[in-house]
Amino acid sequence: MTLLQATAISKRFGGLMALSEVDFTVAPGEFVAVIGPNGAGKSTFLNVLTGLTLPSAGNVQFDGRDITRAPTHGRIRAGLGRTFQHGRLFSRLSVLENVMTGAAIRTDRSESQLREASLGMLDRMGLADEAKRPIDSLSYGQRRMVELCRALACGPRVLLLDEPAAGLNSGEVELLMARLIALRAEHELAVVLIEHNMGMVMRLAERILVLNFGCRIAEGTPAKVQSDPAVLSAYLGEGYNNARD
Amino acid sequence: MRRYDSLIIAAAIVVLGGLLSLVLADYRLRLLNVSVISAIAVIGFNFAFGLAGLISLGHAAFVGLGAYTLAILTTALGWSPWLAIPVAILVTTVFAGMIGYPLLRLRGHYLALATLGLNVSFTIVVTNWITLTGGTNGISGIPELRLGGFAFNDERRFLWLGLVLLALCAAFAITLQRSRHGRAMMAVRDDETAARMTGIDVTRVKITALCLSAAFAALSGTLFAAHVRFVAPEDFNYAHSIIYLAMLIVGGEGAVAGAVIGAALLTFLPEWLRFLGDAYLAFFGLMLLAILVFLPTGLVGLTGRLRRLGWGAKVERTP
Repeated sequence: MTLLQATAISKRFGGLMALSEVDFTVAPGEFVAVIGPNGAGKSTFLNVLTGLTLPSAGNVQFDGRDITRAPTHGRIRAGLGRTFQHGRLFSRLSVLENVMTGAAIRTDRSESQLREASLGMLDRMGLADEAKRPIDSLSYGQRRMVELCRALACGPRVLLLDEPAAGLNSGEVELLMARLIALRAEHELAVVLIEHNMGMVMRLAERILVLNFGCRIAEGTPAKVQSDPAVLSAYLGEGYNNARD
Repeated sequence: MRRYDSLIIAAAIVVLGGLLSLVLADYRLRLLNVSVISAIAVIGFNFAFGLAGLISLGHAAFVGLGAYTLAILTTALGWSPWLAIPVAILVTTVFAGMIGYPLLRLRGHYLALATLGLNVSFTIVVTNWITLTGGTNGISGIPELRLGGFAFNDERRFLWLGLVLLALCAAFAITLQRSRHGRAMMAVRDDETAARMTGIDVTRVKITALCLSAAFAALSGTLFAAHVRFVAPEDFNYAHSIIYLAMLIVGGEGAVAGAVIGAALLTFLPEWLRFLGDAYLAFFGLMLLAILVFLPTGLVGLTGRLRRLGWGAKVERTP
């Protein structure tokens, strides 16, 4: 069974083929990583999935519904969630209020229920003490964690993470991984991870999709992808075999 | 404490304004009335500009549409002003919603220019549609507001009515600002893409903000018409839109208290500084610049800054 399915997605920016015929599926509760060198089309792919960019061809289905042209907020309400590469928070709102904007996706919640749900989420992520603070007083790592809380407060079934470990120190990366693992144990949450930190990808992902120049060049388990010649040449260059000698 | 902010501000408006209404003389009372009427428009403007970040320079057109609707309904059709007020608000809000759809596709400076154009068009239409609006002669003979045998026909009585309405508007605005709707508007201004990514329908939030701001503007316009009992095109030209913007920036954008303080200050300032003569405009320009540079959060931002200074001093004292 698939929850999120992208079929033959192509995206052309003028003469540049940012994505060409990419197929991708995510099952409920699955952890999939999308990797590839810089400029491989990973972020464009997330933009197509979340509706920030419309694909030139192909279609996206979520939970059996065609959402290829659906507006972003509709996809989020249907159960997609996403964080950004550089962490985008609402700078005039406090930490708690940021998470509350996410929780407000459920319109049946009263103001106090919103507050409770958001405090609970912050507490689980170890940010309860920061709830009242303004965003600009947080460290970079804390901001990224608040963004994750805000995305989770929307109650997604598929969470798309765009380089969540970028700019974090190794301790923070460990903490992030531990929390992602704990989250998935609690909810049936599928995660799509874009990441350059290969240690993180190899430890967490059940399946990896490798993109290069907008094309899918490999897909499979971490072990399989690590030994795939196409992947090795994309990352290390054509001559990687000679370098071994 | 935050929970009761709306009540505190509403009570402060009624008590402070009520006391002033007893001690001030006629001309000052008139200025106070003008402040109260402007304050309602600026509170509305705060939804569009302060919260949702829509740079609109056409707010006076909404005020004017409200005022003219009331004037036409009460004089040409002989309606009761009490009935004309809600109709004027409704007409203006629907108009704002209709022009909002095409206009709000624009952003930043483009939106500012388009709304400025809207205001200029409004003035041109009102000036030239003589059969309906009386052209530059305006519309006179707007009936006074009365409740039973009590007519709001002098400055003091009208002020009492204005203060109650302003207090209600302020309390409503604060409550809305602190709700999920207010947060959604601020989210849209801070980062539209991130707002979409939290399930916020950005277009809808923007149009709601514009409609709310137009509704408050229309109420302000109807009060203006009922207070002066005469409307003319120049009362609602684009210069007034810029004054509303200045009032909000001086008082503090994003804050209801700031809107009220800014409206009062910029209404009284020209009178206090009358001795400057034409140099007043230079002073006004410099003051705006100084506030933009040194107090970007306006006069209400001062309290936060002072509080932080006090807090900083305490921290320094602890070894």
